[in-house]
Amino acid sequence: MIELWQLNKKFGNFHAVRDVTLKILPGELFGFLGPNGAGKTTTIRMMVGLMKPTSGRVLLYGKDVLREPEEAKAILGFIPDRPYLYEKLTGLEFLEFVADLHGLDSGNHRRKRIAELLEFFDLEGWSRELVESYSHGMRQRLILAAAIVHRPKALIVDEPMVGLDPKGARLVKRLFLDLAKTGVAIFMSTHILEVAEEMCQRIGIINEGRMIALGTMQELREKAQSADDKLEPLFLKLTGEEGIRSLVEDFRR
Amino acid sequence: METCLTLLQPKIISLKHRLERPGRGSLFKLLILTSLAVAFWVLTFWAFQRVLLYFRSVELFGDLLASKLMSMMLLTFFSILLFSNIISSLSTFFLAEDLNLFLSRPVSPDRLYYARLAETLTHSSWMVLLFGLPVFLAYGSAYRVSFSYYLILTWALIPFLIIPAALGTLFSLILVNIFPARRTKDILFLLSIFFAISLYFLLRFLQPERLVNPESFAGLVEYITALNTPSSPFLPSFWASESLLPFYQDHQANCGFFIGLLWSTAGAMCVFGNWVFRAIYFDGWTKSQEARRARLTQTPLVNGLFDFCTRPFSLRVRALALKDFKSFFRDTTQWSQLILLTALVVVYLYNFRVLPLDKSPLPTSFLQNLISFLNMGLAGFVISAVSGRFVFPAVSLEGFSFWIIRSSPMPPRSFLWSKFWTSLIPLLILAEILIILSNTLLQVTPFMMVLSSVTIFFVTFGIVGLGVGMGAVYPRFKVENAAQIVSGFGGAFYMILSMIFIGMVVILEAWPVHTLLMAELHRRALSYFEWAGIIISFLGVAILNGMAVIIPMRMGIRNITEMDF
Repeated sequence: MIELWQLNKKFGNFHAVRDVTLKILPGELFGFLGPNGAGKTTTIRMMVGLMKPTSGRVLLYGKDVLREPEEAKAILGFIPDRPYLYEKLTGLEFLEFVADLHGLDSGNHRRKRIAELLEFFDLEGWSRELVESYSHGMRQRLILAAAIVHRPKALIVDEPMVGLDPKGARLVKRLFLDLAKTGVAIFMSTHILEVAEEMCQRIGIINEGRMIALGTMQELREKAQSADDKLEPLFLKLTGEEGIRSLVEDFRR
Repeated sequence: METCLTLLQPKIISLKHRLERPGRGSLFKLLILTSLAVAFWVLTFWAFQRVLLYFRSVELFGDLLASKLMSMMLLTFFSILLFSNIISSLSTFFLAEDLNLFLSRPVSPDRLYYARLAETLTHSSWMVLLFGLPVFLAYGSAYRVSFSYYLILTWALIPFLIIPAALGTLFSLILVNIFPARRTKDILFLLSIFFAISLYFLLRFLQPERLVNPESFAGLVEYITALNTPSSPFLPSFWASESLLPFYQDHQANCGFFIGLLWSTAGAMCVFGNWVFRAIYFDGWTKSQEARRARLTQTPLVNGLFDFCTRPFSLRVRALALKDFKSFFRDTTQWSQLILLTALVVVYLYNFRVLPLDKSPLPTSFLQNLISFLNMGLAGFVISAVSGRFVFPAVSLEGFSFWIIRSSPMPPRSFLWSKFWTSLIPLLILAEILIILSNTLLQVTPFMMVLSSVTIFFVTFGIVGLGVGMGAVYPRFKVENAAQIVSGFGGAFYMILSMIFIGMVVILEAWPVHTLLMAELHRRALSYFEWAGIIISFLGVAILNGMAVIIPMRMGIRNITEMDF
């Protein structure tokens, strides 16, 4: 379970995240949407312990990320938006390193797990090459593998589809749905509305640091007082960017 | 020309912004660098002027010596320029990030070539200009030349700088078509390290201290006159030297001819370089996208050895150490610094071997122990400089990948202490080698040997604590080059603190060591008061060392725990 309580972040006078409160249950796949600069990445960075909140709390299965960071991070898997990795390690060495950070015993079980992940993410042929030679998509897949090597109970994902080819994107969708079925709580930020619509049970929309909408597709429709089936018009309406639609229409003409 | 300037605009504007909006510590850094540069200029100018004035006073061959010196210097500059242009052009033509932008836009190859050539020229030549200008000015001042000397000098220097830039670029264009760019850069980087070390050894083993001994001076003059400089008439350094010759000698050289040769060669080299660029650049660029493989550090033997050496540590500490070890030995810019370090140690120890202790009016045994004592401080300074290069950047080198550690269950405390222990062990070995070998060469008493070995052992703890801790308080995750990390405000602060720390240890130990040595020399027993003073002093050293480890490490842990990443 992932819980956010009255989460706030200020940078000087700029209020990046305001009073965000959320609860994601085990087995739930939650979509986190918002326009650029809305506070999505800041929220995520606070959730995984990369940034200290100005106020509020983040709990992962009851463990406070700020007060009990080791216990909280032991059950967390994180996939950032930009795949920065250790360039001078091979893919295999990187997975071994992450496994060590999580204290996984070295042995057949661990070796088997890493081999399975490399195969699943189509990286076994590249496992002994330095990360610096990987393409963006391969790095992204390596980070995905590293995020689940220790079988986390909570997965926090920032833009998982960036740089992935259609095969990779399909793989990720299947993986997340499977993980959710096994009880993993997944918090996913994305710009691809179709992905959120297709995969997520609930969706939260953040704008200017505030959570402006939260619920299932049906609940969002009610909130936006819209009969639209698709998420895109709802999103534009809720974030006050409906004018963009007419602009796009004009441009097409 | 205008279009070339367009391509250079981002660099020019970025530089302008950097000057307009200096970052934290930039002013301090600028002040230090400017002071150093001014001091260097004044010193070089003064030294060269003295030498040249002396040459002028030597009849018959004094002017010949001055022109020989100039031609040797220009030849050295030309070799350095050629080398640095090859290295620099590899970056500007093949490895720079902004090439993707330019190559995907309708930019003509001519414009790209000339813009990149200008960038290479600027990167490689400013250092030579900085080193060379006080020398050229000293020549002007010593020979009381007319204004036309400065005009000819400027007119000769511009093509003299362009020729190696165009030639260096041409070399790298060909090299990258044979090897991938990253490999070529590694090879050239290593060659440049060897080049620097050879120069260092050459200068040191020539024993310049003999210059102060007037008895050997006649031999030196003979040496210089006998020295036959390879002044080939086909080298641009020869043309530049010949164009300046009429100002130092009563020699009617054809100044205009040599200036013409310089300019026509520079022009021809640029045009020829452009042709080659058009013909083979894109193939080389495509090749430069290839990456290298890691071999040695993937072998089971190396892994097994490392595994054995790190067995006493916990799993996480070992994982981090293994990652750092592999990253270090797979990065040529990192591990090749070890070669420089070895050269430094050899020259350091060589200095002790050639110390003329027997010529001093002081008793040899006293001098041996005095130097040994001061050597503790000196070795401490060497260790803190090495630590500035390798230990201070330890946290910053995590770079943008630091998110991996921060979002993992590894506590910041374990992370930083792991960096501490893995940095401490190699530095302890280095420090003890420096102290034990130099003391052996000095033939000091067993007391001094034990005292300095034990002191440097603990001082190294303090230096590493300061390095790791301060490196975590002032991390620079955005800086890719490890050598640049220590050049920031935090690095300067660390160096200052480190110097103060070593100075305090030396001061605290000075009195007790003097008292103990004097008692031994005069064969007298120490009073209770003296023993108490000695114990308090050594206790002070122990407390100081403890503080140098604990305080910065605590500050570092606090910073990486609370910082927003």
